[in-house]
This record gives sequence, structure tokens and C-alpha cells, in this order.
Amino acid sequence: MAPRDTGVIHDIGYRNYDGARLGRSYLVRSLFVQSLRGAYGLGRPARSKVMPALLLAAITFPALIIVVVTMVTGSQELPLAYTDYVPYTFYIVAVFLAAQAPQLISHDLRFRTVPLYFSRPINAADYVIAKYGALAAALFALMAMPLLVMYVGAMLTELPFWAQTRGVAKGLTGAVLFAVLLAGLGAVIASATPRRGFGVAAIIAVIMVSYTVVSAVQGISVETDHVKVATLADLFSPFNLANAVQLWIFDIEVNPLFDEVPTADGGQGLLFVAMYLACVAGSVAFLLMRYRKASAR
Amino acid sequence: MSTITVERTSRWFGNVVAVNDVSMTIAPGVTGLLGPNGAGKSTLIHMMAGFLSPSAGSVTLDGERVWHNEDVYRRIGLVPERESMYDFLTGGQFVLANAQLHGLPDAGAAAGRALATVEMDFAADRRIETYSKGMRQRVKMAAALVHDPAVLLLDEPFNGMDPRQRLQLMALIRRMGDEGRTVLFSSHILEEVEQVASHIEVVVAGRHAASGDFRAIRRLMIDRPHVFLLRSSDDRRLAAALIADPSTASVELDARERALRVHAVDFPRFVVRLPLLAAEHGLRLYEVHPSDESLESVFSYLVAS
Amino acid sequence: MTDPLRPAQDAPLIRTAALTKKYPRVTALDQLTMTVDRGVIGLVGANGAGKSTLIKILLGLVEPTSGTAEVLGLDAATQGPDLRRLVGYMPEHECLPPDVSATEYVVHLARMSGLPPTAARERTADTLRHVGLYEERYRPIGGYSTGMRQRVKLAQALVHDPRLVFLDEPTNGLDPVGRDEMLALIRRVGADFGISVLVASHLLGELERTCDHVVIIDGGRLLRSSAIGAYTGRTEVLAVEVTDEPDGLVALLDQAGLSARRAGKLVEVRLNGHDEAYDTVRDAVARLGVGLVRLEQQRHRIEEVFTDGTP
Repeated sequence: MAPRDTGVIHDIGYRNYDGARLGRSYLVRSLFVQSLRGAYGLGRPARSKVMPALLLAAITFPALIIVVVTMVTGSQELPLAYTDYVPYTFYIVAVFLAAQAPQLISHDLRFRTVPLYFSRPINAADYVIAKYGALAAALFALMAMPLLVMYVGAMLTELPFWAQTRGVAKGLTGAVLFAVLLAGLGAVIASATPRRGFGVAAIIAVIMVSYTVVSAVQGISVETDHVKVATLADLFSPFNLANAVQLWIFDIEVNPLFDEVPTADGGQGLLFVAMYLACVAGSVAFLLMRYRKASAR
Repeated sequence: MSTITVERTSRWFGNVVAVNDVSMTIAPGVTGLLGPNGAGKSTLIHMMAGFLSPSAGSVTLDGERVWHNEDVYRRIGLVPERESMYDFLTGGQFVLANAQLHGLPDAGAAAGRALATVEMDFAADRRIETYSKGMRQRVKMAAALVHDPAVLLLDEPFNGMDPRQRLQLMALIRRMGDEGRTVLFSSHILEEVEQVASHIEVVVAGRHAASGDFRAIRRLMIDRPHVFLLRSSDDRRLAAALIADPSTASVELDARERALRVHAVDFPRFVVRLPLLAAEHGLRLYEVHPSDESLESVFSYLVAS
Repeated sequence: MTDPLRPAQDAPLIRTAALTKKYPRVTALDQLTMTVDRGVIGLVGANGAGKSTLIKILLGLVEPTSGTAEVLGLDAATQGPDLRRLVGYMPEHECLPPDVSATEYVVHLARMSGLPPTAARERTADTLRHVGLYEERYRPIGGYSTGMRQRVKLAQALVHDPRLVFLDEPTNGLDPVGRDEMLALIRRVGADFGISVLVASHLLGELERTCDHVVIIDGGRLLRSSAIGAYTGRTEVLAVEVTDEPDGLVALLDQAGLSARRAGKLVEVRLNGHDEAYDTVRDAVARLGVGLVRLEQQRHRIEEVFTDGTP
């Protein structure tokens, strides 16, 4: 303690900063975390948290029901395969993507905050990686939540450990497939318009219209015994495509989106994988081009 | 020669009062309408142009009511702030269309004259979308001048212009004033008002705060001491001589400026005594600078009061 | 090569050599060669292309068509990311999201400049205080006045303690009072914070009051780059303002052998290097018994570069 009769004035004027200035991986990580938090409304006003929270609750609720039913009936198996869960709840995933992709992507364009990023050490590729990654991670978290609830429930009811663990691993891998493809689609559409409303409408429209058209085509094809057409129609809707890749990889016989559409065989499977990769690569290329242009303006 | 008279005019939008009991007279020559953003400058100009009716009071041009009076519209030109122009037209077509809307007998000749006045005849055949900001502003002005109005009203004409465009427009506005037109332009940038108009009208929060030459306005504020910056052959002796006189409230040696800063409470007496005292003490005056008589200071006093 | 984070102290702030940028329809910069040292630098450019293009090139975001640009000794074309670690940028346009608070946003941008989380938080708090944002910093930016927004924009450009900050029309949209405060802040950034400033403005009077050095680009070419004193040097004309009888003053000065004339409210007296002229004016005013409101040597103005090119 200072003696009574002395005083001191501290300098609270401007101070220079001599500390660490971290590299690009830190910047990308920071932007990723901030965007991921933003997708769930964290660090933003309370009303931004309502929509993601509701959707998370909505997608998790059926999983809780499944767990309760399993416990009550004492069944040795969950009534629903992990890999079927996302296809069954895909409307919720679509709404989440339509609501949050514009929030994550268009927001910076609409409020013209993009130049503030590009006047810093990051470049267009860093920005795209962080934003795309954050959107994919947000989608994954949404889909993983109910799967984990089911898994924890299964463990509590002491269902066979290995079968359940294999199941949830497949389910989570499938969720990654859905998340990566859909995030690319959402990011591309959202980055094309600074207007939030347009982005939301366009994403919903693309997903729903393509799904409806593909389902109709498949319905007709199955009726008319053109099952090969029915299988290949999956190429033209993002949800169907991700689902088809998942079915092929895990060799699942029954298609949860449409049980009469047969799963792809070897050659078709490779075609689906190629289409899937092309879509993801195309999204990244589009985003890179979009933001390279934005950084020079 | 025309004069706009605004008498006890108010304009409200719902419960928002944009212009509050304003009376002013705009005479031939250039007048600057000065005020912070949202002070009611645009509303006032739109009422003068007959685009808006006053909610109370009257706006007249040479005694005739402006609102709903086609005769008066013929004598007024308005250059709006908005950029909404027909980008697909050429400058010439745009001005010609305005001339035709006015029903001028020889619209083509009138458009040509107006374009020549603003020195835009060289680009009359180019589409407006290829114009710079300054060129757009001048074409808008040509459109407003096409019927050779006695009154020209400009809303924030200098917004976003670069120095060269600014100088060109200032010269044009001055010329309009010298030709005997009644020119009123609004601005919240003091620098440009100071350079174009000596007569200013100040509106603050919808009220008419002051009117006249800004130096004269400053001298009317007798409740605020005037601050002078003085440099002389011996500042300390000058300080002693000045503080002995009742016209000064305080004298400070400003080390950084290397000058004397004097707060004069009795302006008329101070300015007369200053040269006399300096002569009496054999002090050479190198500089007498009324440091709060700039338009900035006058304006901030008006806004603060 | 020098450590990019500790640029050589003797490197000039900005150096360009034959810098040229052509777009399909316009030549934004044409053979621009200049060297500028630390301090507060004013940048005057014609509307549109020139000014913004130069700033983007100096930030390493736009590649020049030909020629080179160096900032703090770093080559803008090849060392962009290193360079952007050491500079800040305040855009002309609105660039703030309305739904986050100034604190949240500036902390985020501080991290985006490479500051670790703790430093980002502490420096944000300090920087917001230095630019004059207090309680409002925790409220969403959407509710801020133009003046407050401009302060947030400035804070995000300063939060990582850059060596140089680019300010593009920082007084745009501000009221006269807000303008004065912003200019004072810019002077403080240059003088007290020790950060060099490149401020682009259309208002020459503002630059006269704020800058140490002014660069003028006209039609993409360098019109002039000099210290402020070279633009605003004193003239040999003494401006005198009296409360009454300016004509009487002119007559008296004429009798005393000085060349004087009326110019509006002022009386202009030629000094011709004779300091005695000051005493003559003082005595003439005293003899008339009128008030002396103003007596000062007139100064040149930056504007003259545009009107006759020979200040």
C-alpha cells in the first residue's frame, strides 16, 4: 500500500500495442467461430436466437419420442435407423438453411462490412473457408443433435453398444454429407443477393421445387417401371443427392425418402459421388470468384 | 427581380414538426440556407418551390401565393437533391423534355440555352449514366433553368462533389446571383456556404435561428465574449495594457500559438481601444484575428443556444 | 529482407513509382510517382476512380496495371497480408451491421487483425474510449447517430494499433460540430497516438486545418504533393477589417504612401516587405477612431491549385 501522503497519476492515454499479432489460421478460426455462434444467434439480440432455438427443438423432439418409446416398449432396437433421421426431418433442415445462410453470408454484403475484412490480413479464400465451414458446421450441429439424443437414450436403455455406435457413426457421417452439400448451395444463393428476403425465398424455392419435381418424376417412373430413371432422378435435387450418396456408401437397401426407388448400384454410385463432389467444388469456386471480386472493390 | 417571402410558416408531418413558425425573406442574389441534418432545410425549400403546402402561414413570391399557383411555378426552378434521373436519356433529351413539360414555344432553343448556361452543351449528346456527379448536378440545373426562372432553389447541390466540380458549381451559382436571380441553396457544410453566399439563413430543429452576414450575426451575440487572437511586438506588455481596460474579461498568453488570447466582453469598446492602446504603448500589432467569428463558431453557438 | 512486422523505421510512409491503373473505360491512375513521409497526409482526388483506387492499391487489394507501390517499406502487390497487419482502413460508405453492439463488433474485427482474445477485448475498450464512445458502446449500432457510427468506423481502423490508417471521407454526413470533433480526433491520432494518417477529402479547408502534407491527384495524374506550408504560405497582402469607414481608411493609407484597396468588407494593404506598414495601419485606424476587428496577413489556399495552378 502506498504511504498516505503520496499520490500517483497513471497514464491512461493512448498506448501502443507491442503484443502478438497472430497468423492467418487464427483469423480464419476467429471468423469461423464468430459465424458459427452467429448462426445460433449468440452474441446477437435475443430475437435472433428464437428461430434457431425453435428449429433445434423441433428437430430434436422426435428423437426424444423415439427414446421414450424404446424405453417403454423395452425393444432391443431403435424404431428408426440413424441414417433415416435426417431424410425424415429434412424440412426442418431446409428451413434452418434458408433462415441462417442469408444471416451468415448476405449480412456482410448487405451492410457492406466485407471491405472491413479485406482491409485486414485475410484474403478471399480465408473468408470463404471460414464462412462455408461455419455454415456447414451449423447445419451439422443441427442434424447431429437428435442423433446424439437417440444415441444417449440407446445407451441408457442398454441397447447393444457396438451396433448403436456403428449406427450413430453412420448417421453422423450422413449428416456431414448433407451439411457440406447444402451449406454450399445455401452460401452460393445467399452470396448472390444482399437482400435477406430474396435469399430466404430462393433457398426454400430451390430445395423444395427440386425435391417436388424429383419426387414426381420418381413417382411416374416407378409407376411405369422405369426404376433406373427413378434412381438417377436423385441427381437433380440436393437433398436427394446427399441421401443417395449416403445410401450407396452404407449400402442401405431401403430409401427413406421414397422406398420404391432402388439404391444406386456400383456405376451409378460413382456417378452420384462425382456429382456430389462437382457441386461442392462448384460452390467453392463460385464463392471464391464472388469474394475475389468483392475484395477488389 | 423577385423576392420570396415566408411568413409564420410551419409544416408538420403527423406530429413531426419539420418547420416551426419560420419567417424569412429571400431577396435577389445568393442566399445560403444553413442547418444541421434534419433541420427542415429540404421541407422549407420544397414549400418555396410549391411542392409542399405549408401547414400554417404562407409562402409567397412577389406577393403571390406559391402553393397551387401555376403562374408562380413558371418563375421558379428547383434543383432537387435526389439523384433520380433518367439515366437512359442523353443530357440534351432530359433538358428538352423539361422544356416541353413547361410548354415553352421553342423548347429546343430553350434547352440549348440552358445547357450552354451551365456549360454542358459539349456533353448534351451523351447518356446521363456516363456523367460524373458534377455533370449530373449541372444537367439538373439546366433542367431547372430551362424556362429562365427568376428564382433558383438548390437542395444540397454540393453533396459528394470533388474540389474541381465544387469550384465550377460555385462560380455558376455566383453568376446566377450576379445576373439578378434570386438563388437559394441549402448546405450543412460551412466551407462552401462561406465561399458562395455572404447572406445566410440558419435553421436549427425547424426554427429560424439567425439571418444575415455571419460576422454580423456573431456580433449580435453580446451574451458571449468575443475571442481575439493577437500577435504584437511585445505580447506581455500588450496583455498588461488590455487587462487594465474594462472591455476585456481575461487575457491569456498562449504558449503554443505564441499569441495573446483575449476575451472581450464589450466588443465595440474593445475594437476601438485596441489600436489606441497599442499606439500609446508603442506596440506593433502584427495580427488581430477574431478567432470565434468563423462560420463554424457562429454556427456552433447558434446550435448550442 | 526486413521483418515484415517491424518495418524499417527509415522507410518512407508511402512510395509509388510510375503507378498506373487502367480500367476498360477510364485510366484511374496515370504514372503516379510520389514519396510521402510520416504524419497526417491529405489526399485530394477527383470523384470516382482515382482516390479509391489508390487506397485499394495501397492496401494491396487491387493490382496496378504497371508501376509499384510501397507502404511502410512493404511492396503492396506482393506483401499485401503483411502490410494489412500494419494499416487500418475506414471506408467512406456505411459498413456497420445494425444488430450488434460496437463492443462486440470491434472486438471481432480486432481479432480479425490478429490480436489474441484478451488483447482484442482490452484494446477495444481503450480505443472506443479514445474515439469518444462511452455507455452507448454496449447498445446495438442500429440506434447510433451518424457521428457515433463514424467513431465506430474509426475505432475499428485503429484497434490493432496500426502504423498508418486510411480514412476515406471521414467527415461525410457529419454536422459542422461533428465535423470539428472528427477533425480534432484525426489530429490526435496523428500527434498523440503516433499513427500516420492518410485522409481523403473533398473539402480543402478541412485538409488545410488538419494535414501536414497534401497530395493532389487530378485526372489520375499527380498534380502536386507538398507540405501544407507550401500551399498555405503567407502572401504579401495584409487584410484589415474595421467597424466603420473603410473608404476613409483606404484614403488615409494612400496618403501615407501605402497601396490599399477595398475588397468587400476588407481593406487589402500591400506590405512589400515593410514592417512599418503595420504601424501605419494601426495609427490610421486609431486616428479614424473606428474599431479594428481584423488585421492579418492573407494566406494562400489549396484551392488555388485548381484555379490557376500557382499558389
